[in-house]
Amino acid sequence: MNDAVYKKFVKRWEEVTEIPPQTLGPATPLYKMAVSKLKVMPWPALVLVSTLLVIGIYFLIGSGIVFLVTLLQRGF
Amino acid sequence: MLGNELLAAAVNAGQTLIGLVWHPYATYRRILEKGRIAELVYIALLLAIYFAVASLVKTAAFRPFLLTKQFVLLTAAVGANYAVAVGLLWYTGLLVGGRGRLDRFALAWAYTLIPTLCWFLATSLLYVVIPPPRTTAPQGILFSVLYLVFSSTLLFWKVTLAYLTLRFGLKLDLKKISIVFAVVVPALVVYSAGMYKAGIFRIPFL
Repeated sequence: MNDAVYKKFVKRWEEVTEIPPQTLGPATPLYKMAVSKLKVMPWPALVLVSTLLVIGIYFLIGSGIVFLVTLLQRGF
Repeated sequence: MLGNELLAAAVNAGQTLIGLVWHPYATYRRILEKGRIAELVYIALLLAIYFAVASLVKTAAFRPFLLTKQFVLLTAAVGANYAVAVGLLWYTGLLVGGRGRLDRFALAWAYTLIPTLCWFLATSLLYVVIPPPRTTAPQGILFSVLYLVFSSTLLFWKVTLAYLTLRFGLKLDLKKISIVFAVVVPALVVYSAGMYKAGIFRIPFL
Protein backbone atom coordinates (compact mmCIF):
# COMPACT_ATOMS: atom_id res chain seq x y z
CA MET A 1 0.00 0.00 0.00
CA ASN A 2 1.62 3.31 -1.02
CA ASP A 3 1.88 6.31 1.31
CA ALA A 4 -0.98 8.37 -0.13
CA VAL A 5 -3.46 5.48 -0.04
CA TYR A 6 -2.34 4.55 3.48
CA LYS A 7 -2.78 8.14 4.73
CA LYS A 8 -6.25 8.30 3.16
CA PHE A 9 -7.12 4.99 4.80
CA VAL A 10 -5.90 6.18 8.24
CA LYS A 11 -7.85 9.45 7.91
CA ARG A 12 -11.04 7.58 6.99
CA TRP A 13 -10.45 5.07 9.80
CA GLU A 14 -10.08 7.91 12.33
CA GLU A 15 -13.29 9.54 11.07
CA VAL A 16 -15.24 6.30 11.41
CA THR A 17 -13.88 5.44 14.86
CA GLU A 18 -14.39 8.98 16.18
CA ILE A 19 -18.03 9.25 15.07
CA PRO A 20 -19.67 5.90 14.22
CA PRO A 21 -21.69 5.91 10.97
CA GLN A 22 -25.34 6.85 11.46
CA THR A 23 -27.89 4.07 11.13
CA LEU A 24 -31.68 4.39 11.27
CA GLY A 25 -32.85 0.79 11.10
CA PRO A 26 -34.93 0.15 7.97
CA ALA A 27 -34.69 3.86 7.01
CA THR A 28 -30.87 3.71 6.80
CA PRO A 29 -30.72 3.50 2.95
CA LEU A 30 -33.03 6.53 2.74
CA TYR A 31 -30.84 8.48 5.18
CA LYS A 32 -27.70 7.52 3.26
CA MET A 33 -29.31 8.63 0.00
CA ALA A 34 -30.34 12.01 1.49
CA VAL A 35 -26.87 12.55 2.97
CA SER A 36 -25.15 11.66 -0.30
CA LYS A 37 -27.16 14.43 -2.01
CA LEU A 38 -26.11 16.94 0.67
CA LYS A 39 -22.43 16.09 1.01
CA VAL A 40 -21.21 17.70 -2.20
CA MET A 41 -22.97 20.55 -4.04
CA PRO A 42 -26.25 20.33 -2.07
CA TRP A 43 -28.01 23.13 -3.98
CA PRO A 44 -29.94 21.10 -6.59
CA ALA A 45 -31.44 18.95 -3.80
CA LEU A 46 -32.17 21.96 -1.56
CA VAL A 47 -33.81 23.95 -4.37
CA LEU A 48 -35.86 20.94 -5.47
CA VAL A 49 -37.19 20.27 -1.94
CA SER A 50 -37.88 24.01 -1.43
CA THR A 51 -39.74 24.27 -4.73
CA LEU A 52 -41.91 21.26 -3.87
CA LEU A 53 -42.58 22.76 -0.43
CA VAL A 54 -43.59 26.15 -1.86
CA ILE A 55 -45.83 24.54 -4.49
CA GLY A 56 -47.46 22.62 -1.62
CA ILE A 57 -47.96 25.83 0.38
CA TYR A 58 -49.39 27.54 -2.72
CA PHE A 59 -51.94 24.75 -3.21
CA LEU A 60 -52.79 24.94 0.49
CA ILE A 61 -53.22 28.71 0.99
CA GLY A 62 -53.38 29.98 -2.62
CA SER A 63 -52.79 33.70 -3.01
CA GLY A 64 -52.33 33.90 0.80
CA ILE A 65 -48.63 33.40 0.09
CA VAL A 66 -48.38 37.09 -0.80
CA PHE A 67 -49.33 37.98 2.80
CA LEU A 68 -46.77 35.51 4.11
CA VAL A 69 -44.11 37.12 1.90
CA THR A 70 -45.17 40.61 2.97
CA LEU A 71 -44.69 39.57 6.61
CA LEU A 72 -41.30 38.02 5.88
CA GLN A 73 -40.16 41.04 3.90
CA ARG A 74 -40.86 43.23 6.91
CA GLY A 75 -39.17 40.78 9.25
CA PHE A 76 -35.55 41.86 9.06
CA MET B 1 2.41 36.91 15.89
CA LEU B 2 -1.13 38.30 16.03
CA GLY B 3 -0.77 39.39 12.40
CA ASN B 4 0.20 35.85 11.37
CA GLU B 5 -2.71 34.38 13.30
CA LEU B 6 -5.17 36.81 11.67
CA LEU B 7 -3.73 36.09 8.23
CA ALA B 8 -3.96 32.32 8.74
CA ALA B 9 -7.51 32.75 10.07
CA ALA B 10 -8.42 34.86 7.00
CA VAL B 11 -7.22 32.09 4.66
CA ASN B 12 -9.13 29.48 6.71
CA ALA B 13 -12.28 31.62 6.77
CA GLY B 14 -12.11 32.16 3.00
CA GLN B 15 -11.70 28.43 2.34
CA THR B 16 -14.50 27.63 4.77
CA LEU B 17 -16.95 30.10 3.22
CA ILE B 18 -16.38 28.53 -0.21
CA GLY B 19 -16.50 25.05 1.31
CA LEU B 20 -19.86 25.69 3.00
CA VAL B 21 -21.36 26.20 -0.45
CA TRP B 22 -19.69 23.32 -2.32
CA HIS B 23 -19.02 20.55 0.22
CA PRO B 24 -20.48 21.34 3.65
CA TYR B 25 -19.77 17.93 5.23
CA ALA B 26 -16.02 17.94 4.53
CA THR B 27 -15.85 21.63 5.47
CA TYR B 28 -17.48 21.05 8.84
CA ARG B 29 -15.09 18.21 9.59
CA ARG B 30 -12.24 20.62 8.77
CA ILE B 31 -13.66 23.43 10.97
CA LEU B 32 -13.87 21.07 13.92
CA GLU B 33 -10.39 19.63 13.33
CA LYS B 34 -8.40 22.71 12.38
CA GLY B 35 -10.63 25.76 12.98
CA ARG B 36 -9.06 28.88 14.52
CA ILE B 37 -11.03 30.98 16.95
CA ALA B 38 -9.66 34.11 15.19
CA GLU B 39 -11.94 33.23 12.25
CA LEU B 40 -14.74 34.69 14.37
CA VAL B 41 -13.26 38.13 13.61
CA TYR B 42 -14.09 37.74 9.91
CA ILE B 43 -17.58 36.41 10.57
CA ALA B 44 -18.14 39.39 12.90
CA LEU B 45 -16.87 41.70 10.15
CA LEU B 46 -19.38 40.28 7.65
CA LEU B 47 -22.15 40.68 10.21
CA ALA B 48 -21.06 44.27 10.90
CA ILE B 49 -21.42 45.06 7.17
CA TYR B 50 -24.98 43.73 7.31
CA PHE B 51 -25.77 45.71 10.49
CA ALA B 52 -24.60 48.87 8.74
CA VAL B 53 -26.85 48.17 5.74
CA ALA B 54 -29.81 47.21 7.95
CA SER B 55 -29.36 50.34 10.09
CA LEU B 56 -29.54 52.49 6.98
CA VAL B 57 -32.62 50.69 5.67
CA LYS B 58 -34.43 50.55 9.03
CA THR B 59 -33.66 54.08 10.15
CA ALA B 60 -34.47 55.60 6.73
CA ALA B 61 -32.79 58.85 7.79
CA PHE B 62 -29.14 59.80 7.57
CA ARG B 63 -28.81 60.86 11.21
CA PRO B 64 -25.58 59.63 12.79
CA PHE B 65 -27.05 59.28 16.29
CA LEU B 66 -30.01 57.15 15.15
CA LEU B 67 -27.83 55.08 12.81
CA THR B 68 -25.25 54.42 15.54
CA LYS B 69 -27.99 53.55 18.03
CA GLN B 70 -29.55 51.08 15.58
CA PHE B 71 -26.14 49.58 14.72
CA VAL B 72 -25.22 49.09 18.40
CA LEU B 73 -28.66 47.63 19.15
CA LEU B 74 -28.42 45.08 16.30
CA THR B 75 -24.83 44.15 17.21
CA ALA B 76 -25.67 43.63 20.89
CA ALA B 77 -28.83 41.65 20.09
CA VAL B 78 -27.08 39.32 17.64
CA GLY B 79 -24.16 38.88 20.06
CA ALA B 80 -26.63 37.92 22.80
CA ASN B 81 -28.54 35.58 20.42
CA TYR B 82 -25.29 33.85 19.48
CA ALA B 83 -24.16 33.42 23.09
CA VAL B 84 -27.57 32.09 24.19
CA ALA B 85 -27.78 29.64 21.26
CA VAL B 86 -24.21 28.33 21.76
CA GLY B 87 -24.71 28.02 25.54
CA LEU B 88 -28.03 26.18 25.26
CA LEU B 89 -26.83 23.81 22.52
CA TRP B 90 -23.51 23.09 24.23
CA TYR B 91 -24.91 22.31 27.68
CA THR B 92 -27.89 20.36 26.34
CA GLY B 93 -25.50 18.44 24.08
CA LEU B 94 -23.26 17.59 27.03
CA LEU B 95 -26.30 16.39 29.01
CA VAL B 96 -27.14 13.83 26.33
CA GLY B 97 -23.56 12.55 26.22
CA GLY B 98 -21.86 14.88 23.74
CA ARG B 99 -18.12 15.56 23.83
CA GLY B 100 -15.95 18.07 22.04
CA ARG B 101 -14.20 21.44 22.32
CA LEU B 102 -16.29 24.50 23.15
CA ASP B 103 -14.13 26.92 21.10
CA ARG B 104 -14.46 24.84 17.91
CA PHE B 105 -18.15 24.22 18.58
CA ALA B 106 -18.70 27.98 18.97
CA LEU B 107 -16.81 28.58 15.71
CA ALA B 108 -18.86 25.93 13.88
CA TRP B 109 -22.10 27.51 15.14
CA ALA B 110 -20.85 30.94 14.03
CA TYR B 111 -20.61 29.60 10.46
CA THR B 112 -24.30 28.64 10.62
CA LEU B 113 -24.95 32.41 10.76
CA ILE B 114 -23.82 32.69 7.11
CA PRO B 115 -27.16 31.47 5.64
CA THR B 116 -28.97 33.73 8.13
CA LEU B 117 -26.80 36.65 7.04
CA CYS B 118 -27.49 35.93 3.35
CA TRP B 119 -31.26 35.89 3.99
CA PHE B 120 -31.30 39.07 6.08
CA LEU B 121 -29.04 40.92 3.64
CA ALA B 122 -31.11 39.89 0.61
CA THR B 123 -34.35 40.76 2.43
CA SER B 124 -33.03 44.19 3.45
CA LEU B 125 -31.96 44.98 -0.11
CA LEU B 126 -35.23 43.68 -1.56
CA TYR B 127 -37.09 45.87 0.95
CA VAL B 128 -35.50 48.86 -0.77
CA VAL B 129 -35.76 47.62 -4.38
CA ILE B 130 -39.24 46.00 -4.22
CA PRO B 131 -40.83 47.22 -0.96
CA PRO B 132 -43.78 45.30 0.52
CA PRO B 133 -46.76 44.83 0.51
CA ARG B 134 -47.05 42.27 -2.30
CA THR B 135 -50.26 42.10 -4.32
CA THR B 136 -52.20 39.13 -5.66
CA ALA B 137 -51.42 40.15 -9.26
CA PRO B 138 -49.53 37.48 -11.26
CA GLN B 139 -46.25 39.38 -10.79
CA GLY B 140 -46.84 39.52 -7.01
CA ILE B 141 -47.53 35.80 -6.83
CA LEU B 142 -44.53 34.96 -9.02
CA PHE B 143 -42.26 37.10 -6.85
CA SER B 144 -43.75 35.52 -3.71
CA VAL B 145 -43.11 31.99 -4.99
CA LEU B 146 -39.51 32.82 -5.95
CA TYR B 147 -38.88 34.58 -2.65
CA LEU B 148 -40.27 31.64 -0.66
CA VAL B 149 -38.16 29.15 -2.65
CA PHE B 150 -35.10 31.31 -1.95
CA SER B 151 -35.99 31.61 1.75
CA SER B 152 -36.67 27.92 2.30
CA THR B 153 -33.52 26.91 0.39
CA LEU B 154 -31.46 29.05 2.79
CA LEU B 155 -33.42 27.64 5.74
CA PHE B 156 -32.61 24.05 4.69
CA TRP B 157 -28.96 25.04 4.22
CA LYS B 158 -29.00 26.50 7.74
CA VAL B 159 -30.60 23.34 9.18
CA THR B 160 -27.95 21.20 7.45
CA LEU B 161 -25.13 23.31 8.93
CA ALA B 162 -26.77 23.25 12.39
CA TYR B 163 -27.04 19.45 12.15
CA LEU B 164 -23.36 19.19 11.15
CA THR B 165 -22.36 21.43 14.09
CA LEU B 166 -23.95 19.00 16.53
CA ARG B 167 -22.91 15.87 14.62
CA PHE B 168 -19.21 16.74 14.39
CA GLY B 169 -18.92 19.34 17.19
CA LEU B 170 -20.46 17.18 19.90
CA LYS B 171 -20.18 13.79 18.14
CA LEU B 172 -23.87 13.04 18.54
CA ASP B 173 -26.08 10.70 16.52
CA LEU B 174 -29.37 11.72 14.89
CA LYS B 175 -31.49 10.59 17.87
CA LYS B 176 -29.50 12.70 20.35
CA ILE B 177 -29.39 15.65 17.93
CA SER B 178 -33.22 15.48 17.73
CA ILE B 179 -33.40 15.50 21.55
CA VAL B 180 -31.10 18.55 21.72
CA PHE B 181 -33.20 20.42 19.14
CA ALA B 182 -36.44 19.39 20.89
CA VAL B 183 -35.13 21.00 24.10
CA VAL B 184 -33.36 24.04 22.62
CA VAL B 185 -35.78 25.14 19.87
CA PRO B 186 -38.75 25.88 22.22
CA ALA B 187 -36.37 27.79 24.53
CA LEU B 188 -35.14 29.82 21.55
CA VAL B 189 -38.73 30.46 20.45
CA VAL B 190 -39.53 31.94 23.89
CA TYR B 191 -36.30 33.95 23.79
CA SER B 192 -37.10 35.20 20.27
CA ALA B 193 -40.58 36.24 21.41
CA GLY B 194 -38.84 38.39 24.02
CA MET B 195 -36.67 39.96 21.30
CA TYR B 196 -39.80 40.58 19.23
CA LYS B 197 -41.53 42.29 22.17
CA ALA B 198 -38.43 44.42 22.72
CA GLY B 199 -38.82 45.54 19.09
CA ILE B 200 -35.36 44.33 18.04
CA PHE B 201 -36.10 41.55 15.54
CA ARG B 202 -39.40 40.46 14.04
CA ILE B 203 -37.65 37.33 12.76
CA PRO B 204 -34.88 36.16 15.10
CA PHE B 205 -31.31 36.43 13.80
CA LEU B 206 -30.15 32.98 14.99
